[in-house]
Amino acid sequence: MLVLSLAWKNIRRYRHRTWVTILAMAFAGAIMIFYAGLLEGWMQAMETNVVSMEMGEVQMHAPGYRDDPDLYTRIPDPAAALLRAEAAGFTGSARLLGGGLAAAKENSAGVAIRGIEPEVEARVVRLHRHIKAGSWLVPGERRGVVLGQQLAVILDVRPGDELVLVGQAADGSMANDLFTVRGILKSVGQGIDRAGLFMPAADFRDFFALEAGAHEIVLLRADPALPLDTATETLAGLFPDLEVKSWRQLQPTLARLLDLSDVSLAIMLLIIYAAVGMLTMNAMLMGVFERIPMFGVMKAIGFSGVRLFGLVVWETLLQITLASLLALAAGLPVSFYFAKKPLDFSFLVKESSTIAGVAFEPQWYCRVTPASVLLPILFLYIVGLVAICYPALKAALLSPVRAIHHR
Amino acid sequence: MNEEQIVRLAGVSRVYRQGNVEVRAVDRLDLDIRAGEFSALCGPSGSGKTTILNMIGALDAPTEGAVYLEGRNLAELSRGALSRFRRDRVGFVFQSYNLIPVLTAYENAEFVLALQNVPLAERKERVMAVLREVGMADYADRRPDELSGGQQQRVAIARAVVSEPAIVLADEPTANVDSEAAATILDLMEQLNRDKGVTFLFSTHDQRVMDRARRLIRLRDGRLAADEGRK
Repeated sequence: MLVLSLAWKNIRRYRHRTWVTILAMAFAGAIMIFYAGLLEGWMQAMETNVVSMEMGEVQMHAPGYRDDPDLYTRIPDPAAALLRAEAAGFTGSARLLGGGLAAAKENSAGVAIRGIEPEVEARVVRLHRHIKAGSWLVPGERRGVVLGQQLAVILDVRPGDELVLVGQAADGSMANDLFTVRGILKSVGQGIDRAGLFMPAADFRDFFALEAGAHEIVLLRADPALPLDTATETLAGLFPDLEVKSWRQLQPTLARLLDLSDVSLAIMLLIIYAAVGMLTMNAMLMGVFERIPMFGVMKAIGFSGVRLFGLVVWETLLQITLASLLALAAGLPVSFYFAKKPLDFSFLVKESSTIAGVAFEPQWYCRVTPASVLLPILFLYIVGLVAICYPALKAALLSPVRAIHHR
Repeated sequence: MNEEQIVRLAGVSRVYRQGNVEVRAVDRLDLDIRAGEFSALCGPSGSGKTTILNMIGALDAPTEGAVYLEGRNLAELSRGALSRFRRDRVGFVFQSYNLIPVLTAYENAEFVLALQNVPLAERKERVMAVLREVGMADYADRRPDELSGGQQQRVAIARAVVSEPAIVLADEPTANVDSEAAATILDLMEQLNRDKGVTFLFSTHDQRVMDRARRLIRLRDGRLAADEGRK
């Protein structure tokens, strides 16, 4: 208590130095709380875009389909599979996948055709809310398609325009039909942007002469707290005759990119806090130098080197604690504000684009999580305590005789 | 060692190196201080007064010989033990008062007792008693920068004697105060010596202190030039 009380009195007495140190640490802390929130928000947006725009959290395919996508390699009874998955705590949607050629006016392009049940798909992914022009597929309405944004540019079509689809049907015949463009998507990801064409599952079956089965089942966890790996293992156990993969297994590059975002945050923390650490060390070193005679007297009258080390460390801890409170007071409101009202970079990027093949909106939201708040504060303590070691050691090892006569 | 003997220096030398030059601040000195003495080390600058005080106070160690305080050879104590020994058995009064600036007069006087973990109630009683003795009870709540030089030195004396050490070492205690304050401080220390039996050892070249000291240990070039008195 004696050391703590003395530390508190010391930091109150040397106000200027104390405030400079505290404000520098608080500024860095507030910036890092905001930056960590922004990065968390960005990472979540990326993950959400991967999961909720296209992939879902877990996908199931018939064995061999992913290695060699084939119209004939299908999950035989997707409705029964979906019922079993839902009973196990998952929400899902079955998809039909095929390839073809789309032509409109003088233009043509290869397309990846996806047959879906619009109302079921809407429970799993959010594509229906990601429309740039026109509207999403309407349940029960036939011969309407929704295109990826680049595909629409290549074909030079707008909502209401017609296009012709050509492909090979499951029975070996030539499939071709006329469809109306119902809507055009915002950027979702490279694959969908360039070649994505969505149509109702019934139209897909007619077009490709497919009667039953599905190529892909996309699933979401009903309980987001359930770890993704556990959920994947549960499904793999339920469906041993299907290939079950999480989105992280399906998109390992992207998963690693998101993991690396944590490293990027740590590097930023290190860079900014290295500067703060230098400032803290300098301020505390000056504080020690200024008080060498006082420390000498304290040691002479029986204040041990260990206690003197503790005194300087306590002074730093108190300053870091005050700086942390200030950093929270400044950083949290800003982060919460930008959690509701995004930072808008649309003056740089006019509409959503892709990074690493994933849709990326020009509006950045902050995401305030325990990690985004506590990590910068934890770093502040670590950096401050590392920086104080040298000045504290210097104080602890002072020779009382030399210190008393120090000028 | 004689029972009354508090300090004994046996063949003590202290050599400093300044670049390639050896400076012999104290040269083979034998000296003893007994309980209740009111003694002064005197001599010109560089005669070794402060070095001797530092060695007796366990702030510095001799290059040769041994320093005994209450029969203990200080060279045999660890750094931590020396720190505790200073805390418990030695009181210091410095030339520049050297109070802790962030603490009040009361807290400065209390500091050593707090280090000794003396219970709060006892601490309060002892600190207020000693502040009354040095005439600073009414200034207990003042910080050093709110006190005059003489008042600060009285608080420093209170801090030095409050833990009832074996000896109080006072390094030029009157050097930075005016004549009136110096007389008050000397009166106070004489009174503590007389009434409480506190042993004082000064280093000084102030004639006023030398006039009051009952034993004058005169030094020249680190050696004992004369040992007068022991009245």
